[in-house]
Amino acid sequence: MSDFDLAVVGGGPGGYVAAERAAARGLKTVLVERDHLGGVCLNSGCIPTKTLIHSAKLLQQARGSAAYGVTVSEARYDLGAAMAWKGAVTERLRGGVASQMERHGVTVERGTGVLTGRGRLAVDGRALAARNVIVATGSRAARPPIPGADLPHVVDSTGALQLQELPARVVIVGGGYIGMEFASYFHAVGSEVVVVEMLDDILAGVDGDIVRQLKSALPGVVWHLGARVAGITADGVSIAAGDGERVEAADLVLLATGRVPNTDHLGLEAAGAVFNRRGVTVDEYQRTNVAGLYAVGDVTGRSLLAHAASRMGEVAVDAIVSQRPGSNRMRYHAVPWVVYTLPEIAGVGLSEQAARAAGRNVRVARLPLAANGRFLAEHLAPGDGSHAAPRGLVKVVVDGDSHVLLGVHMIGTPASEIIFGGATMIEAELRVEELREIVFPHPTVSEALRDVLWEVQW
Amino acid sequence: MPKSMVIAPEEVRRGGWLETPPIPLNQYRSDPQAERERWGAAALRDVYRDMVMIRAFESMLGDIKTQGAYRGIAYEHAGAAHLSIGQEAAVVGLCLPLTPDDLIFGSHRSHGEILAKCARAIRVLPEAELQRVMEGYLGGDVLRVIEPAAQWDSVQDLARHFILYGVLAEIFARTTGLNRGLGGSMHAFFAPFGSMPNNAIVGGSAPIAAGAALFKRCNRRPGIVVANIGDAAAGCGPTWEAITFSAMEQYRTLWDAEVGGAPPMLFNFLNNFYGMGGQTAGETMGFEVLARIGAGVNADGLHAERVDGYSPLAVAAAVAAKRELLEAGRGPVLLDTVTYRLAGHSPSDAASYRTREEVAQWQEADCLAGYAAYLSEHELASEAELEKEAERAADRMELVCRLAVSLEHSPRPDRDARLIAGVMFSNESRTAMAAGEPELAGTLADNPRAAAIARRSRGALGADGKELPRSRVVAFRDALFEALAHRFTVDPTLVAYGEENRDWGGAFAVYRGLTELLPYHRLFNSPISEAAIAGSAVGYAMSGGRVVVELMYCDFMGRAGDEILNQMAKWQAMSAGLLRLPLVMRVSVGNRYGAQHSQDWSSLLAHIPGLKVYFPATPYDAKGMLNRALQGTDPVVFFESQRLYDYGEEFVAGGVPEGYYEVEEGQPVLRREGGDLTIVTIGATLYRALEAADELREAHGLAAEVFDARFLNPLDLEPIAASVRKTGRLVLASDACDRGSFLHTVASNLTRLCFEDLDAPPVVVGARNWITPGAEMEQSFFPQKEWILDAIHAELLPLAGHASSTDPTRGELAARARGGI
Repeated sequence: MSDFDLAVVGGGPGGYVAAERAAARGLKTVLVERDHLGGVCLNSGCIPTKTLIHSAKLLQQARGSAAYGVTVSEARYDLGAAMAWKGAVTERLRGGVASQMERHGVTVERGTGVLTGRGRLAVDGRALAARNVIVATGSRAARPPIPGADLPHVVDSTGALQLQELPARVVIVGGGYIGMEFASYFHAVGSEVVVVEMLDDILAGVDGDIVRQLKSALPGVVWHLGARVAGITADGVSIAAGDGERVEAADLVLLATGRVPNTDHLGLEAAGAVFNRRGVTVDEYQRTNVAGLYAVGDVTGRSLLAHAASRMGEVAVDAIVSQRPGSNRMRYHAVPWVVYTLPEIAGVGLSEQAARAAGRNVRVARLPLAANGRFLAEHLAPGDGSHAAPRGLVKVVVDGDSHVLLGVHMIGTPASEIIFGGATMIEAELRVEELREIVFPHPTVSEALRDVLWEVQW
Repeated sequence: MPKSMVIAPEEVRRGGWLETPPIPLNQYRSDPQAERERWGAAALRDVYRDMVMIRAFESMLGDIKTQGAYRGIAYEHAGAAHLSIGQEAAVVGLCLPLTPDDLIFGSHRSHGEILAKCARAIRVLPEAELQRVMEGYLGGDVLRVIEPAAQWDSVQDLARHFILYGVLAEIFARTTGLNRGLGGSMHAFFAPFGSMPNNAIVGGSAPIAAGAALFKRCNRRPGIVVANIGDAAAGCGPTWEAITFSAMEQYRTLWDAEVGGAPPMLFNFLNNFYGMGGQTAGETMGFEVLARIGAGVNADGLHAERVDGYSPLAVAAAVAAKRELLEAGRGPVLLDTVTYRLAGHSPSDAASYRTREEVAQWQEADCLAGYAAYLSEHELASEAELEKEAERAADRMELVCRLAVSLEHSPRPDRDARLIAGVMFSNESRTAMAAGEPELAGTLADNPRAAAIARRSRGALGADGKELPRSRVVAFRDALFEALAHRFTVDPTLVAYGEENRDWGGAFAVYRGLTELLPYHRLFNSPISEAAIAGSAVGYAMSGGRVVVELMYCDFMGRAGDEILNQMAKWQAMSAGLLRLPLVMRVSVGNRYGAQHSQDWSSLLAHIPGLKVYFPATPYDAKGMLNRALQGTDPVVFFESQRLYDYGEEFVAGGVPEGYYEVEEGQPVLRREGGDLTIVTIGATLYRALEAADELREAHGLAAEVFDARFLNPLDLEPIAASVRKTGRLVLASDACDRGSFLHTVASNLTRLCFEDLDAPPVVVGARNWITPGAEMEQSFFPQKEWILDAIHAELLPLAGHASSTDPTRGELAARARGGI
């Protein structure tokens, strides 16, 4: 039995970043991973979906490139090649994480880590002692109790990343960000797409203006909103809504109905940690109720985003090293998020609706991306490529009293690359007057963010 | 467990039949000629006059309560009024043979008893004595209102007005009431005439009265003691305990005959057949006839008798006969005095549990009308004279009512509550509660325990500075013995009792040696009756004696809940400071014996206003604080930790002084100086805190300042506050369960006092909020050194390399609160 300063259970973006930061600060650290380093994000989440969506985007651009003066003959989609590319990318990244661990002197233990008591773990039965433990075991796709959900053509996101052939018609259950990314993907590569969402609209919490633009960017998709799946058979999906029940034919059903934290079989009870069905309860320093036991990432149920998990890992390590909780707290209000649809959606901070619900004196400004030269140069208008304006919008939400920026919301590729700017502004709690002093490079799409701040009226 | 009495198997296993004495039921036969000769015609007329007075008083109060006015005097009385209409003959008959030396204790329905007892005393006391009592009572405040307002024709008549007004002003919560309005309707009393505290807890007076009777017997005081309790009190455990306590055989078999036998205790059940909504005979009890329970207690059957309480002279004859038995030391006595509450339990009583016909039958049999007929039939009074009595009584009621209602004559207790603050504790220092030579069976000079102590070191350390074996030092238990032994030699009133005090020497050997020093009546074993032990101690103390009782384990206080929480804690204040309660209750905090023998309930007691709570942790303090408690005149719950009984004195140079000394009340003591953080402990946790302080010093170079609070109430916070201002960090620890621990009160008060100087919120380390597990697992229940260090590490000061063995995290705090653990 070896003694560590820190044991991290789970090698995803919460766990491996925590291990890396801890080792860099001199803690003798062990990282326990039962599968591949990199977690869901790298192996069956963020990264593989982005490689597939990139392929789909290239397909889309190739088919519309004539208007730009480039003719591509017979642009077609090769699922096998796209999957091979996806595999190459994840393989390489896994290797990168492993070498980072090695470079920082993190011991990697392969196996399933279980807490067996205070500062004690068993990794596939091997005892391991550590003064501090960070639980970073992540989450998994929820399996809703729908009759027929175990049929072979019903998959979750992990299964969807391993398809051998494209479906002719896919029913996606769940209109959240995973569901919508796959909707965009399948739509782009030519499958018929049906989306079933229990709430009244897709992408709960996303600005309504942006959701409308996304839906219009997905012509032909069949929407069943405010509906639920009553059952699945080999032939179709039975969908119940207020106005009755109907059947949608499908040769693939994708369940994208949310995720549940991996709190079970982890020994949380043995350790005495407080948790519930949403996850392990932690404070703003990622501390659980048990001294020396921390939790980060999806397993806390606080924010199911890889970059939030990494940040939580850093906060936890700082709490362990400094022992005196200080200003390095986990803050969620400036965590940006991206939905990798085609086009991309990104946001940070409060939506207009949320800011109003919070009783703020809200000011909003909108700017179509069509007003941005670089964006216009690279984007066709919808439809036949005539000179109508392409889609795309940036919207800011501002506190009318303090003039502090509360939220930034965008639709239009490359929103994912720009949104960090909004996050920086919100984290720094800068006022609009100060933000207007920041210089942006020209010509870039990011300028739209600067321009919209000049649109704010008091 | 005296060795003089052998339990022989052939005797206790022998077959046979137990016979109980027959119990007379209403066997009194009126003989008007004999009655006139016995009591005198005037006294027989006075009986009627007193009954009428009580009826008029209660009717007046009933009018006020139900109609908001009496004879045009409007008044809203917010408080209680349990009327005794229908019970007049029972109480006036009771008081006829009683002298001012006789004491009566009563219930919530005792207005009539106060009036009857005082009226009787007024008739037998000399005028000069009456004058002296009235002028001296509450500085003359009551007299000053009534004397100029009443039309009195004699000092006796003035005294009658005085009592009527004093009781009513008390009911209306006025400073000119008999207890300055702090007792109220259910608690009013007037001790100078033998009307002792009345009790709002059913049966509450039984053990208290038993203690008053014990006081009379042990201190050779004249008079008997009567507990006027209702029939429903027969269902209360403390009543039963008081009866068995009063009926112990040892009074007549083991105590010196010269002491006089059993305490002169009369349990007078004023049997009105109802307890709240329950009908005792036939519904809520099984005795059928209340007097039957006497047969279950002793061979005398408690001399039990049912008496017709609707005939004042039947009651008077019974009481007169019983007082002879009581004065001869042959008590206790039980009377089942039949009566009826015509007005129901209280004005809110809709009488849904009885029929109008039943009430009508009792109205028909009304004791006033019946006795009036007796007087006129036997030419003791004319009908005209009798009718005039009612008129005269009503006029008096109008006068006292007008005065008692008037805020000018009868102000309310001052709103800033200085009055109450001034009477919560008597705070006197009195070596002895009465003059006289203390009775001893031996001397301290030839006492074996004292001799053994004399051979021991006064401190824990030898001349070489090394710790001596515990068997060779004056230990905590020895220090307590010295304080007790000293007080027994200077206060003749001091008595001590508990379940294993004599012969055994106390479960933890504190009393060993006292058996040789003291005669039986000053140190004896009681039944396993915590309610009677505590309740009788209250009665003993309020009657003028000093008493030490012992409940062995703190946990057993649950058995004496009312007696400790409602009686011991309340009577000094409810009497407006007229009563003193020099009562020390020793309890120990146990361990090793599981969930019902290991609780530190000091916080529970500190929560109750009216109690002083001491908790020494060293032999020096054990003696000095017990000396202080025994010199004081207030009720003290004296906590001792069983972990410490064999500890020697480690802190005070020279150890435990041989002579007398006192620890100043309320002063926490500094056990170790330091500048980095402050640790406050209560009880035995002191030693674990010192271990923690050692580790802080050795492993982390930190100097902890350690205070031993010693007192929970009163407690001077300032010495601790000064320390916290210096260190900025505070951790508090004791064996009490964390939730509701008194230390949270200390922590919150110190936070307010020192907020600007605190670096972090104070942390309380208490026992877990669950049962005490078995001895082998106690380290997971009571605070340990490591727990204190963990708390410091988590909240106050990170300790390099420290690994917590517990979870002093905020998440765990919230989780435990949520889980109720």
